[in-house]
Amino acid sequence: MLIYLAQRLLALAFVLLAVSMIVFTLMHSVPGGPFDTQQAKLPKAARENIERKYGLDKPVWQQYLNYMSHAVRFDFGIPYQQPQTTVAALIGKTWLVTLQVGIMTIIVAFGLGITAGMFAAYHQNSWVDNIVTFFSMLGVTVPNFVIAMWFILFFGVTRQWLPTGGWGKSGDCLCYDLLCSDWILPVLAYALAPMAIIARYTRASIVDVIREDYVRTARAKGLGESKVMRRHVLRNAQIPMVTALGTEIPNLITGSIFIETIFRINGLGKFFVTSTLNRDYPMIMATFLLVALLWGITFMLTDIAYTLIDPRVKLGAKKEA
Amino acid sequence: MPTRSLLFTPLVLALWLHTSNAQEKTVTGLALPPDAAPYAEQVLRIPCNNSANAVTFDFSVSVYQPYCGSNFFNDPLVTFDKALNPQPGAAESWSVADDGVTWTFILHQGLMWSDGTPVTAHDYVATFRFSADPDHAWDFAWYYTFVDKGGIKNWDEVIAGELPVEALGVRAIDDRTLEIITKGIFPPLPKIMKYAYALQKKALAEHGPYYNNEPATAVSSGPFMLESFDHGFKVVFKANPHYKGYRPPRLARIEGIYMSPATYFIAYLNNEIDTINFNDLSPADFATIERDPELLANYLRPGLIGTDYVFFDPHNPPFDNLDVRKAFAHAINREAIVKSIYGEIKAVPAHTMLMPGFPAADITGDLTDYQRFDCGLAKEHLAKAGYPNGADFPPQVMWLRNENPGIAAVYQAAAASISQCLGINIQVSNKDNKVFMDALHERPTKIALGSVAYAIDFADPINLLGIWVSSGRHSWRHQRFDEILDEASNLIGEPARRDSLFHAAERILVDDVGGAFIAHRWAGDLWRPKVRGASIRDPGPNDTYGSHSGNDWQWGDIYIGKAQ
Repeated sequence: MLIYLAQRLLALAFVLLAVSMIVFTLMHSVPGGPFDTQQAKLPKAARENIERKYGLDKPVWQQYLNYMSHAVRFDFGIPYQQPQTTVAALIGKTWLVTLQVGIMTIIVAFGLGITAGMFAAYHQNSWVDNIVTFFSMLGVTVPNFVIAMWFILFFGVTRQWLPTGGWGKSGDCLCYDLLCSDWILPVLAYALAPMAIIARYTRASIVDVIREDYVRTARAKGLGESKVMRRHVLRNAQIPMVTALGTEIPNLITGSIFIETIFRINGLGKFFVTSTLNRDYPMIMATFLLVALLWGITFMLTDIAYTLIDPRVKLGAKKEA
Repeated sequence: MPTRSLLFTPLVLALWLHTSNAQEKTVTGLALPPDAAPYAEQVLRIPCNNSANAVTFDFSVSVYQPYCGSNFFNDPLVTFDKALNPQPGAAESWSVADDGVTWTFILHQGLMWSDGTPVTAHDYVATFRFSADPDHAWDFAWYYTFVDKGGIKNWDEVIAGELPVEALGVRAIDDRTLEIITKGIFPPLPKIMKYAYALQKKALAEHGPYYNNEPATAVSSGPFMLESFDHGFKVVFKANPHYKGYRPPRLARIEGIYMSPATYFIAYLNNEIDTINFNDLSPADFATIERDPELLANYLRPGLIGTDYVFFDPHNPPFDNLDVRKAFAHAINREAIVKSIYGEIKAVPAHTMLMPGFPAADITGDLTDYQRFDCGLAKEHLAKAGYPNGADFPPQVMWLRNENPGIAAVYQAAAASISQCLGINIQVSNKDNKVFMDALHERPTKIALGSVAYAIDFADPINLLGIWVSSGRHSWRHQRFDEILDEASNLIGEPARRDSLFHAAERILVDDVGGAFIAHRWAGDLWRPKVRGASIRDPGPNDTYGSHSGNDWQWGDIYIGKAQ
């Protein structure tokens, strides 16, 4: 297991290296630079000064080496969008909020999605199944910013039941600020799409397993329905669910520009878009590397989860002849 | 004892009556208007874009990355009245020497920073030097190059690092006298001093350019000072009790509430904010405003702010042919576009670059015919250029600069109008902002056909016509146009002749079709009815209302009225 983990971590380092090269090359290939302004081109000399100041006057390969030599020491540079801070400090500050949103969303999306999927599978083709399928389709097809606006209009403006945004700053909080009323709308709006996906995957996985011979055998043995579900159905349905659902996690914990801007959450999500639009090279690199790292770690954890769910899975074991 | 009480009761009653009737005063000692709400309720709530790329409250640090509520902390040398004439700001007067290039600005007596120290000409000098410092790399550094003769002496050399900042043509004669030397003779210089804001020299040296980002180090010579700043959530400004400038605030506080511009209108309807700028209102929001008499009455339009136009690469086929450009100019159905796409609340048809109400604008309609919509005439020009009924005309792609859907629809309609009239194929491509600007600025330009807008920086024809000179934003060149503009910009003491020269230059521009003009956009703001003040509620020229360009005096004027 340890050897396997070491191999995976090494592979992850190579992935990060490859991602850094690709992103660095692409962002320097796109027309327009970070200091091109709206109205007029900077005078040539002024432009050269700025480029010198930020090291952009050097060949791209040299800029890359400079960047990486600092990045391995966790110095990701100064964001052009907020030059009074560092990339690491900016990500540290904003990602904490985004993580909070993401974790709440994961709890809601996975909790409700798995429960709904199980009910739908167990009551296949019934009205329960139809309702779950309808809301799943709605969640997948309607973008979260549209849902967010509906929520704000209905719960915030028309009914005035809930704050329209803020994240812990404009609503009432309970349990030492662990639960706040202004969390409800963003979490629900953000959770609806992953919840729909999770419900659909859960339903499909359980429907597959529920028809297996060993489930029929368990029932024939006289096992209670809850035990059949817990011991035989859910346990065996978990592997495809983990494969499909694990990939939702990096998306959710890196934030959404739509949810964060609409609900006034000062998180990391917007920087994925604004960094690219502003050609904020240090921030582009850092956000892409963060996403690549999170995806790598998620896949590794997913593999480890397989061994916990199914003892037959051995990580790093060679195939028997 | 009862006798004593009887004696005191009328006194107490009289005192109570006196205090309840007295007009409340602001922190600077100014009496509030009789119809104002109590001072504690003098709070204006403004929306702040939570996805904006922002780093500073100070113009002199960054122009394109401003925090919400920027420029509350310092007064510009000059401000504008409703007719866009320069008025004293931090400077009580100004004059130019006989050489025509040495300007002297005298600061008002007694201007103070919020830390109790005086505002001096040395603060302005330090700020100009900081703006030109190559290490600062100010994003507005292009401006004093763009205004050419109005640029500050040695500006280009200093920003290039060829001369030290001390060589800049700005110096303090004494604490109240600031001298600015321009590159050449430039009569409208006071108008561009609208952008001359001062940072505090001491704070700049001690804490660096971002000293205003933290309440602990912030220092203000403007009407408001920073009380608290939770970036991305809320920023609070309170009235500056040390303020001695030209716009003493009636408001006690301004609260900037961060939100997505997509939710501004909802927040306004939900009584969370008190104003929205026209740029942040969607076509759907405008439709709601136009249907509601109260909203419509409080949507105040101070004037036309900018021009939408089509531009060409006039050095390569097919747009090197004047008849092709004329065909395009006559093929745009401006009236229909304004009526059905913009809506008349947002724009008027344009046949020129200078908008009605702007100095030297074509108010008589003398230039209208050069680009009037006339599909028959457009077809004639195209046939003359060798493309009868659009035959063999190469397909074109019209570039847009990352426009929002509302504005993109305007340009799509212009392209459709041209295509339909001339029988040619034009696709519209909405480009990333940086890609667009990079291609536009290339020489020769990489954009054969594009649409874009330009808005007022300062109220002088040189501002809007200057983008068309050979060294300007576009590739269109006309020697006579350059010469006339050069002559007009240098002219002192002959305003009528100056205007007629600009008019002659604009005639060349529309006749040679440097651009095909589509519409002039109205500026506007939606205000809550309780927000009052002559600066926004009293009519200006041409029966306009609201927050006009350069109207920073409104921050000393507006107040919250009593509930009706």
